[in-house]
Order: sequence, then structure tokens, then C-alpha cells
Amino acid sequence: MPATGRSLFPYFAIALLAAGLAWATSFSTLPPADFTFVNGTEVESVDPARVTGSPEGRIITALFEGLYRPDPKTLQPLEAVALRHEVSDDNKVYTFHLRKDAKWSDRDGTPVTAHDFAWSWLRLLHPETGSQYAFLLTECVVNAKKYQSGPDVGDPVEVELADRKNPLEPHPHGTLLAGKLISIVKAPKPTFGPTDSDVGKERLLDEWTDKWVYTVEIEGKGRQFCKKPELVNPKLEKCAQVLLDRQQVGIKALNDWQFQVRLISPTPYFVYLTQFYPLFPVQRACVERYGYPGWVKEEHIVTNGAYQMEFRKARNRIRLRKNPRYWDAANVKIEVADALAVESSATGLNMYLEGQVDWTPAPPPAVITKLRERDDYYGEASLTIAFYRVNVTRSKNKPLDNVLVRRALNMAIDKQALCDNLLRAGQKPARSFVPPGLDGYEPALCREYDVKKAQQLLSEAGYPGGRGIDSVEILYNSSGDHGTSAEFIGDCWRKNLGLKVSYRSLEWGTYLSTVDKLGYDISRSGWTGDYPDPNTFLNLFVSHGEQNQTGWKNPQYDKLIEAAGRETDPQRRMRIFHDAEVILMDELPIIPIYSYVIVNMVKPYVHGFYANAQDVHPLRDLWIDQTEREKYLERSKRR
Amino acid sequence: MISFLVRRTAWMVVTLWIVFTASFLLMRAVPGGPFSQERKVDRDVRRNLEKRYKLDQPLYRQYWTNLVDTVRYRDLGPSMKLKDYTVNEIIAQGFPVSASLGILALSLALAVGLTSGTVAALRRQRLLDVTVMGIATVGIAVPNFWLAGVSIVLFVFVWPLLPAAGWGSPAQLVLPVVCLAAPYAAYIARLTRTGMLDVLSQDYIRTAQAKGLAPHRIVIHHALRGAVLPVVSFLGPAVAAILTGSLVIEQIFFLPGLGRAFISAALQRDYPVAMGLVLIYTIILYVMNMVVDISYRVLDPRVKLS
Amino acid sequence: MSKLLPGSPADSQRYAALLAEAQGIRGISLWLDAWRRLRRNWAAMASLGFLILLALASFFVPLLPLQSPEEQHLVTRQFEPPNTRPHKLGLAALVSDNKAYQSRVEAAWSNITLLDRGMIRARVALFGDWCIPSLCGTDELGRDLLARILWGSRVSIMVGVVATLVSLLIGVSYGATAGYLGGWVDDAMMRLVDILYSIPFIFVVIYLITILDEPTTIKPWLLKYGINKIVIFYIVIGAIYWLTMARVVRGQVISLKNDQFVEAARAIGASQGRIIFRHLVPNLMSVVIVYLTLTIPSVMLFEAFLSFLGLGVDPPGVSWGILASNGIQAINPVRIFWWLVLFPGLALAMTLFALNFLGDGLRDALDPRLKNK
Repeated sequence: MPATGRSLFPYFAIALLAAGLAWATSFSTLPPADFTFVNGTEVESVDPARVTGSPEGRIITALFEGLYRPDPKTLQPLEAVALRHEVSDDNKVYTFHLRKDAKWSDRDGTPVTAHDFAWSWLRLLHPETGSQYAFLLTECVVNAKKYQSGPDVGDPVEVELADRKNPLEPHPHGTLLAGKLISIVKAPKPTFGPTDSDVGKERLLDEWTDKWVYTVEIEGKGRQFCKKPELVNPKLEKCAQVLLDRQQVGIKALNDWQFQVRLISPTPYFVYLTQFYPLFPVQRACVERYGYPGWVKEEHIVTNGAYQMEFRKARNRIRLRKNPRYWDAANVKIEVADALAVESSATGLNMYLEGQVDWTPAPPPAVITKLRERDDYYGEASLTIAFYRVNVTRSKNKPLDNVLVRRALNMAIDKQALCDNLLRAGQKPARSFVPPGLDGYEPALCREYDVKKAQQLLSEAGYPGGRGIDSVEILYNSSGDHGTSAEFIGDCWRKNLGLKVSYRSLEWGTYLSTVDKLGYDISRSGWTGDYPDPNTFLNLFVSHGEQNQTGWKNPQYDKLIEAAGRETDPQRRMRIFHDAEVILMDELPIIPIYSYVIVNMVKPYVHGFYANAQDVHPLRDLWIDQTEREKYLERSKRR
Repeated sequence: MISFLVRRTAWMVVTLWIVFTASFLLMRAVPGGPFSQERKVDRDVRRNLEKRYKLDQPLYRQYWTNLVDTVRYRDLGPSMKLKDYTVNEIIAQGFPVSASLGILALSLALAVGLTSGTVAALRRQRLLDVTVMGIATVGIAVPNFWLAGVSIVLFVFVWPLLPAAGWGSPAQLVLPVVCLAAPYAAYIARLTRTGMLDVLSQDYIRTAQAKGLAPHRIVIHHALRGAVLPVVSFLGPAVAAILTGSLVIEQIFFLPGLGRAFISAALQRDYPVAMGLVLIYTIILYVMNMVVDISYRVLDPRVKLS
Repeated sequence: MSKLLPGSPADSQRYAALLAEAQGIRGISLWLDAWRRLRRNWAAMASLGFLILLALASFFVPLLPLQSPEEQHLVTRQFEPPNTRPHKLGLAALVSDNKAYQSRVEAAWSNITLLDRGMIRARVALFGDWCIPSLCGTDELGRDLLARILWGSRVSIMVGVVATLVSLLIGVSYGATAGYLGGWVDDAMMRLVDILYSIPFIFVVIYLITILDEPTTIKPWLLKYGINKIVIFYIVIGAIYWLTMARVVRGQVISLKNDQFVEAARAIGASQGRIIFRHLVPNLMSVVIVYLTLTIPSVMLFEAFLSFLGLGVDPPGVSWGILASNGIQAINPVRIFWWLVLFPGLALAMTLFALNFLGDGLRDALDPRLKNK
């Protein structure tokens, strides 16, 4: 009887619903972590060679460890994988002695050796990795730049044949042949028309280099290689890369426990560099076996730091579990930590105040004045500068290539009002790119807020009252409260200069790549010093620096930065930097806005957290007092 | 029944194919689109795209290879923005969250809507009816993000009862589910009331009453089944509406579901992810519509599945 | 008249009486009948009144004595709760000096048309510098919320109306043609509608909008032809909602198609096109109007949705969705800015409410089964 089916149907539907309900509720429960914190935006990747941001840095410093690590209070280098180092008399050769009990987190507990560091640093330099922090090494290590950009005639080279397991991935590489570069035959360099886009130009250049014919003498015989022989002469041998022989680069593992670096000239901040995450080691076996992105998946990743990645859910959370093989595991107190990818600072604050998270950085400025009175408020002047990049390649109706216009833009911003009324955490308006607070360095200053002068400058440039200038767009990233500051600054320009301003916000990853490709008019940026030296700020804007991202080129500036790099006398060095910054503040390809006050809200039962100028708070140094925590939760429940 | 299922599935395949082809053309033919040579993308991204989409082949070859790859391996390609992830992984992570949110919201909407609609119909024109219908009318007009905002202000800050965001504990489910379900509960209440009133005036109900059956038996065993029909036919659009409503709810409450993934993909122009999600949503909608049509047939034997 | 009637005087009397009686019964058109019924529905009438007021306010916004919706008062007036503090616009004094006047106007409102400028001038003449105080409070940058809500209504209502009209145009033509032509053409056209119906269009629209809004190549190309974000909205949103309209219209046309007046027209020799557009379409009006009033709120809600998600008009443009989004993002437990959440949502809710009530009322009023009740 059909009726039976029909009368059962409601019960069936209800049963289905009940099952769905059970599944749904079960699904949303996770065992809680010991420590939960807000990490801002979703990290782009956890591969140390592929990222540049600080949310990524927090995760990577938990997973991996470099030669040295920073003291959470003083930021001075402490022993990590390296126990100590020696410097040669001319300050150019550093030899690091590694500890023997540092291990990778793989099943066998393979030890971390100097070979891992050598391989990882060369990987950072490899042109196909495309790391944006490679300049850390190319600036100061012997032949690092040449390894990255290509050998000259007469250099010893390594030719990588086109027999890679995966042609698109450089690791593992194909067969390497060592030889000497006899000649490079290049077709005439392509010329660019005025209408060619930047992308088009890059593509033409790539095609051009793909057709170069290398003649290399290998074991007495001359052989000819080309990356794309099908375009030139099919009889040529196909190669993947022809790079400077890696033995020539000043990065070498003398043996398993000694790692040597040869510098071009004395670099006082070099030891601090080793604390910074692009120079962390990754395990060669893991990377070569799984390739990228396979090796960063939670089931494959091998780390040497205090934590392992238990799971990673995109745009949700990353769970870090204590690495039992870490050499200092006994001193790591937090077993399980969760990093939440919450972009909105308001939501992060809400979750903090409710007790869902124990640490949230950067609460929304609107409530900072109220929060300052609390004792879980940590505010510290930081070695970080907020500035606007100006795309100096824009011209004609957006005369950002005109220095008078840029100076006018700078002088029309009421930075004090911005700091006092919008940001409110005690930020200070900035007139220099290097933030104040570096010992021994005197920053160069740009002009102050002066509306009349700004209007004058604009008229002088040929655009009185802003007439003749198309709408200028301010780009900023959507995490963080940059929208209101952008609207305020845009309004300053509108009111004071008569400009038309529009706004665009992009998610972190897209924002980074858009700025990198110069796809903006004006973009809001921030930069934290990677080490306490003016070089970490000023070297950004050398003419072809990867982090320049403004299109500004000034050979005089480049010469000064290079000279400072070679200068051995510390005082003279600081003065050379000052002169360079004078040029920067005069030409203003970037407009400094304010220097950060890093604000963190941390629960009182979390210890080991210190406010410091670089906002570095390694997880391994934190610990939670359980009794205090219980008391705190009791108190807040009762309230 | 079988032919019905087969025919519907065939149409679903056709629809999916149309969406796939349209996206393919859009993404490649549009100047400045993500795969065009004019587009500067990160080296990693370019590498992944080349590997998956075979960009150096002529267009028609690309299309065929991609179609075959997508169907055979059910692989939707790499994400252009989240460098470490493929589209399938993103969908796999987000789907359980959105599914549970949707199921709970739908159940709540049905439960609340059916009961209040029935009660209103039974107490017709009296205070209860007017109140319930008043609330229902308001519920339909209020945009769900406003409802969410107001409830956060009230239930998280003014009276700190519930958490404001996140996903991981049952308490965090309450507000999102309620805010998502509210407009549909209102609609279902109205439909139930109209349906119930229609049914209650039918002859067979009068017969049952004349026989002396208890009122609640009449309602539950006889009237409800007929009254539920307009609600069932609304379920198809309701599921669609819950899917779209979840976009906003997930944003406000920071739930790591497909809705947020879709918005992020759209805002960041992560085309493979966005297209993959459109395909998934189409499948979900189609399946739900099929289920609804089948239920309709089961509940009302007069209906023929056409 | 009675002279012409045949028969006896008694008959004439009877006929005269009949005639008088017949003349007493007035036939009324569908519209008048509907209007009468609508008038009795007080909820619908109240809604109609509200909507008319809203439309007028929205059109005449520059004329109203409001503060500037864009001017920021970061230092002095951030996050003010609703209050009655008086403010001055600062324009009255500048009327004589044209340049200063113009720059002040530019600072207070950007992107306004000539008509708006005229209205602002009139407003200065009428109200001087007096502004309605911030009855809805101010936002993070010190901008008056009431002014933003009223200026934002322009965008929201415009998108609602125009997008609906676009969908109307497409839907009515498509549905009428399909219904009239019938046969396999009708089948094919409706099959297409079915397929399109099953695609979750909202997602496709969002996807499309992000493609069309691509800032480096596509957006500037579109802007060259004057197609900015709002126009994209009109077209793309309108392109979703025509499906239901097409189905409804087709159903009506099929039932009307076999009516006698159509046969008569065909007998006279009217062409297909003429029959469709001159005879069928006007008879569809009642159905179309009802659906119009019920589609506009969906469209407005969708636009609010898109703005909320960050795909809306670009700042400094304002719409209700953007205001609601800003309001929700500002919520935190330390300082509750309830007015930023309440008022924009209230405006949207009340408008949607009114449209829904009016739509329901119109549906009841135009229902031919209830004629003359």
C-alpha cells in the first residue's frame, strides 16, 4: 500500500533531520587549546622563503628555528641552533658552531646540520624560488647576488639539465654539471615601444633570456645549452638553469656542525639577521620529496622549532603542538596553541574580552583610549613606520612623478590630528622614514604640515587648486584599520589641495602582489625594522630593490647605501645613512605618516610576554599560570 | 520515479557544463583576466596555473583537457591567492561548516515556522494570530545582517550571554543559526497559516470533526500533511535563500565556511575558487530541488512528477 | 428619447424606468475598482504614503536642511550619540563670493549634478545655514549619520527602481513572446529559463561583478564608456530578476491568448508584434505591477547585501548597505555605538516593509476574482 511509504515519510524526514543536527553540533566542537591568540589575516604560506609578513612570521618562528633567536625582553641574540660563532679579524667571515642535539621533527629525528642551513640559504637565493627577502643575503654575502641574477663569462658555473622530476619545481633539481662559462650568445635585446605594459616588457625580457645560448666547457669539451632550444636551434642541449657554481657563493657548510658565511664587507647587524625567519632552515629531504606546496601540508611538514603544525584550516585556525624533538622542549611550557585568522580587529577584541582568546594584537583605535587604563594593555613605541608609497611611474594626469606634487601631498596631511584623534594609542607623526629610537642615528626630516605651502607647491607644479589631476586612488589592505586613516588623509588632500580621491581595499595577499606589480597610485604600507639598524629601512629604496615597489630610481642614493655597506667606521657609516635619507626625504617617493605604537592585549595569567620594539613574542617563551587563570575566569564569570 | 531522477540528473549535468564553459570563456577571453598573458601573477601562482591549466596550448585544447581533468579527477585547480591550497581543499574545509549551519537553520526555520503558523491558524483572528503574524511580517522585511547586528548588540554586549564570533563550541552556533533562520521561519509561518486555513475548511476535516476526533489528532494526522504542501514547495527557494543568507552571516560571525571563502575569493579575484564554489552551490541547489520535488510527490499523491 | 420608443405609453414608461435604472449602474474600469479596494486597506495606504514621502525626500535631498554627508569632523565630533546640538553649514555667508562658495560646496558634497547644485542654492536661500542636528549621531570620522542615510537612500532606491525596470523590460518581452508564440519556441525559451533558474544566480552575479570591477584593465575600459559601478549594478542585478517575471507573464499571456479580443485583432489583420505589444501587454499590467512592487524590495535587499559584503559603490559614495556594514564593524563591548547599527537598518527595514505591504495590498486589489466586492 503506497500509504505505508507515505505515512513513514514524516518519521523518515525527522530522523534525517535529527541525524543532521547531531552531525552539525558534533562538528563544531574542537578540543580546546592551552593558548589561543589572534594572528590577524590568513597567512599566505608557512614556507619561510615565500613570505614577507608578520602574521606569517609569528607562525614560522614557532615552527622553525634559525642560528640564533631573540631574547623576548632585550631582542639580543640567544643561542638557538648555533651555540656560538667566531668572526675573522677583518669582520668578514663568520663561522657558526652548531649544537649537536638540534633535531628535525620527522620520524627518525634527523639532526639539523650546517648542510641544512647551506641548502636553505641557497634555496632562498635561487632565482626560481622568487623570494622577496633574498636581498637580505644578496646585499652582504659574497657572490650571493651573482648566484641569483646569473653568471658572467669566465665564471665557474653549474648547468642544470632539463631532467627534473617536475619541470616546474626547482627542488629536487635535475642533473648538475660543473663547468666554466665560455660565452653567452644573446640575440639583440628587445626594444620596447611606448605603449608596452610592464607585464609585456617582462614577458619579452623573459623570452629573450630563454633564447640565450650558453657555451660551457665541461671536462675539457665545449657544450652548448639553451633554455628553449626549440626556439633557436633544436640541436642545442636543453637546460633548466645555468647558475654560478654554488661553491663560489660565500655560504658553506665546512662540516656537519660548522657553518661559514663570507661577507662582502663588515656588516654590523649580520648576527641579528640570523634571527629573522627568511634565514631559517628547511629540511631538504622533505622539500625535495613533496615539492611545494606538498611539503607545507600538515601531514608532510618537518620542522625544527618548538612547535609542529597539527592542523591548518584555511581562514580559520592553525593548531600548533609542542615538538617533542625540539632541543629545548623541556623549557617549552605551552603544549597546544591555536592561531586564529581573524581579520577584523573589532572581532579580535570581542573574542579577547569574552575570554575566547588570550592574546589579541592591535585592537581597533576607536576604543584604545578606554583600553589604555587597563593593566592587560601593552603599548610600546615600535621600530615600525607607517607610510604611503607613491607610484612615481604615474605621470600626465596623475603627476606623481613630479617631486613638487609629492612634497605638496606630504605637507597637506595633518599627521598630528590623525595620531591624536584617530589612532589614539600615542602614535607620533613621522617626518622621517627611519623611526626615532635607533642609537647613534640622526634621521633626516621632511617638511611639516603647512597647507598654504602645500597649495603653493601644487600651483608651482602646474596644478593650482588640484585642477588637471585625475582622481588619485589610495590602496590599503583590508586587515587592520587602515580604511579610516585612508579616508582621513584623502579628505585632507581633498580639503586642502582640491584633489579627487578614491579608495580601494584588498586582502593581504592580493594587496601585496598588487603593490609589488605597481598596480596602484598611492598605497598605504608599514615596515618594521628586521634588525636595529637604519639599513633595514633605507635599503628598501635602492633602485631595483625588491621591496622598493615605487618605481623610484636614484643612482646617488644607491651609491650612498652601497658606500654605507662598505664603511667600517660606525660613526661615518651613520652619517652616510643620514645623507641618503636626506635624499629620500627630499624626493619623497614615500610619505612617512606615523611611527607605530604596537598595542597588544594579553591576559594577566600569560607570562613571558614583553612589549618590545620589534613586536616579537616567541611562543616558546610564554607560559600560563593555571591557578591564576582559573581565578581570573571565576572572577569574570561572577562579574 | 527512476526516470524522473535520471532526467533531473541529466539536466543538472547540462547546467554544470554550461556554468563551467561560461566561466572558462570569461576567465580566458576577458582581457586582463587571470590567465591572460597580460596578467602579472606571482611566480608560484603562475607555476601552479601552468601546471594545471596547460596555458601554453591552444584554447580549444585547453578547454578539452580542463574539462576532462575536472570531471575525471574532480580536481578544480589550485587557488590563486592561498598559495598552499587547492580549490578542492578549500571546499573540503569549508563545506562541513556551511552544511551544519544550513541544516540547523533550516530545521529551526521549519520547526518554528510550522508550529507558529499552525497555532496562528487555529487561533484565527485572535490575539495570538495577530501577534504571530505581526512578528512574521516584520521578520520578512528585516535584512538578516541588521538582525545579526542588533542581536549582537543585545545578546553579546548588553546582556553578555553569547559569544560574538568564531566556530568551535555549541554556544557559538546559537546567534548565527537564529539570525539565518529568522526570515525563513517568518515566511514558513505565513505559508503554513494560509495552507492550514485552506485545509481546515475542506470537507474531510469536517468529517473528522464530525466523527469526534480530538482536535490535536485532526491537526497532526490529517490537516498538517495537506497544509505542509506550500511549505514544501517553498523549501527549494528556501535552501537557495539560506545559501545566500549564509554569505552575510558567515562574514559577521567569522564562521570558516564556504560563504566566507566565496566572498574572499570574489574580493581577491581568486577565480578558480570562485568558480569552484559556484559549481558546488549549483549542485547543492539542484539536489535540494530534486529532494523537494520527491517529497512533494510522496506527501501528495495527486501530484505527478513531470 | 421616449418619443422614439415604439409601443404604448405604458411600455415607454417601463422602458424609461429600465433605462434610468441601467444608467444608474455605473460600469467601472478595472483600475478604478482596484483603487477603491486598495483605499480600504489602510496598511497598504499607509505604506503608499510612506513610500511617496520617501521618494520625494530622496529626490529633494539637496533641498533639505541637512548637514554634509561627507564632511569629516574627526577631532570634534567623533562617535556622537544622537543629540540635538545645533550646527551651521557655513554656506550662507559665502553666497556673494562665487569661488569660495563653489569650493565649500565641493568640500561638502562631491559628485553632484547640476540639478542638485540648484537645489542647494535654493536650500541656502530658504533655510540659510541652519542644519537639522545629528538626530542619528555621527560615525567614526564625525560624519552626520542622518545626512548619510538620506543621501544613501538615493543610491539604494535608484538601484532598486532601475534594476527592477531592467528586469521588467527583459522579463515582459521574453515572457510575452514565449507565451504568444507557443509551440516549440515556447518550450525552448522556457527550458532556458528553467536552466537559468537552477543556477544560483547570486553567486554568479558576485563573480561577474568582481570580474567587471577589475581595477587595472577592465574597470578603466568600462569607465571610458561611462559605465561605472552603479550602472553595472543596474544591468547585472536586473539580469537576475527577470526570470520570475518572464514566467508569470508567460502564464498570463497563455491564458489571455485565446481570449476573443485577440482573435478579433487577428481577424482584422494585426501583425504578431502589434498584437503582442499593443493588445496583450496592456492587459498584463496588473500582474506586472504587483510583481514590480514585490521585486523592488528584493533588489534593494540584494544591493544592500552586495554593499555589505564590500562589493558596493565605492567611497565616498554612500548606500544603506555600506552604512549597515560600517555600523556592524564598529560594534565592540567597550563602547557600544548602537545608533550606527540601528538607524541604517531601520531605514532599510521600513522601506522594505512598506513595499511588501503595498505589494500585498495591490495583489488583493487587482485580483479580478474580487471585482466589485
